[in-house]
Amino acid sequence: MRTELALSAKPLTAKDFKSDQETRWCPGCGDYAILAAVQGFMPELQVAKENIVFVSGIGCSSRFPYYMNTYGMHSIHGRAPAIATGLATSRRDLSVWVVTGDGDALSIGGNHLIHALRRNVNLKILLFNNRIYGLTKGQYSPTSEVGKITKSTPMGSLDAPFNPVSLALGAEASFVARTIDSDRKHLTEVLRQAAAHPGTALIEIYQNCNIFNDGAFDALKDKQQAEEAVIRLEHGKPIRFGADGARGVVRDPATGDLKVVDVTPGDEAGLLVHDAHAASPLTAIGLARLADPDTLHHTPIGVLRDVRRPVYDTQMAHQLDTAVEQKGKGDLAALLTGNDTWTVGSSS
Amino acid sequence: MTYVIAQPCVDLKDKACVDECPVDCIYEGPRKMYINPDECVDCGACEPVCPVEAIFYEDSLPDELSEYATVDREFFAADPSPGGASSVGVAEADHPVVRAEPVRAAG
Repeated sequence: MRTELALSAKPLTAKDFKSDQETRWCPGCGDYAILAAVQGFMPELQVAKENIVFVSGIGCSSRFPYYMNTYGMHSIHGRAPAIATGLATSRRDLSVWVVTGDGDALSIGGNHLIHALRRNVNLKILLFNNRIYGLTKGQYSPTSEVGKITKSTPMGSLDAPFNPVSLALGAEASFVARTIDSDRKHLTEVLRQAAAHPGTALIEIYQNCNIFNDGAFDALKDKQQAEEAVIRLEHGKPIRFGADGARGVVRDPATGDLKVVDVTPGDEAGLLVHDAHAASPLTAIGLARLADPDTLHHTPIGVLRDVRRPVYDTQMAHQLDTAVEQKGKGDLAALLTGNDTWTVGSSS
Repeated sequence: MTYVIAQPCVDLKDKACVDECPVDCIYEGPRKMYINPDECVDCGACEPVCPVEAIFYEDSLPDELSEYATVDREFFAADPSPGGASSVGVAEADHPVVRAEPVRAAG
């Protein structure tokens, strides 16, 4: 955590973070579970409520700031990362969080998302992925599986979906994680690690839209199926899953790709050990892409990548200090009326 | 503040709510279902599916059911967050308020 953050004078509780607004999501929406987990986690930050900001774009998930008793902004479609970048850069005493969805972040906001990630601004981005447009009543989204039948694609969608974690890793993100709305313990642990990370953190949260895409993540939630479907990543540990850790992930020596194998007592040493701090993102990208986009089998959850690199707002503050030191305090009015100005008017 | 399950559930336990709950926070007692207030996320999915209208928001309980305001919370006093109803069986005993209800015949 950054030393500039203003700490709360008294210990806070989850209740302190509940606002007086009536929560307007459909009954049963996964957003409620995420909201409860975030409100439950916030006291751990020990940051004063007045120094926490939630910025959202447009969509169901973007109603989030209303329900947090912090500062917040329900901003422009897809532009929450841009607004949050300005805020985090100019007000380093704030803890800045972005709440977005698969439509907001990956359709209209795709551009802003990737640039926030490559800049490594001190933002924590929560991307609620329900693989559908919920607010507009059920059209396919950039994360919907191929062939998705919706009102806007009655014969099935033709678009290949984004894998948000893989996309973020490709955009140079320094912290990338994936978690699930209903797994409060896991979600909270991922929030904890993201909050401690200096720079941009992207957390993809699989979120059930029980109205327009119900059961999209049942394979990962159902106790029977989840054992085979979910790979829980832990830094420094061999990647195993399934009943009694019967399955594991290895690197195929011929292709270099990652693959799932049955673990036998003799070959445990060959299992891939998860290294979230690896300098290269290649293995994390391989892990991100292990899941079958249709069945969701072999879906890794947890922190895929957590590496340190220069943080944008720290560097900018340093650059501004250096500029003042070398060139003196600037004069904005003089700059605006300086030499490089033109008078537009009749030339006759 | 959270949702609670009141007297109409006693000896009925339809469990439609259990299928709807996205966070698996509705636990079973011998005679009644119980919502864990620490695990409930206030999403309200359970309330409309209850066939006997036993589920209420805590501060909207009708006067005649007011004794049920704290029953669910007290039921979990010993273990405030068991971590998911599907991994826990039927509890051994109900809350005293439920035990004191006259037994209703099935059907």
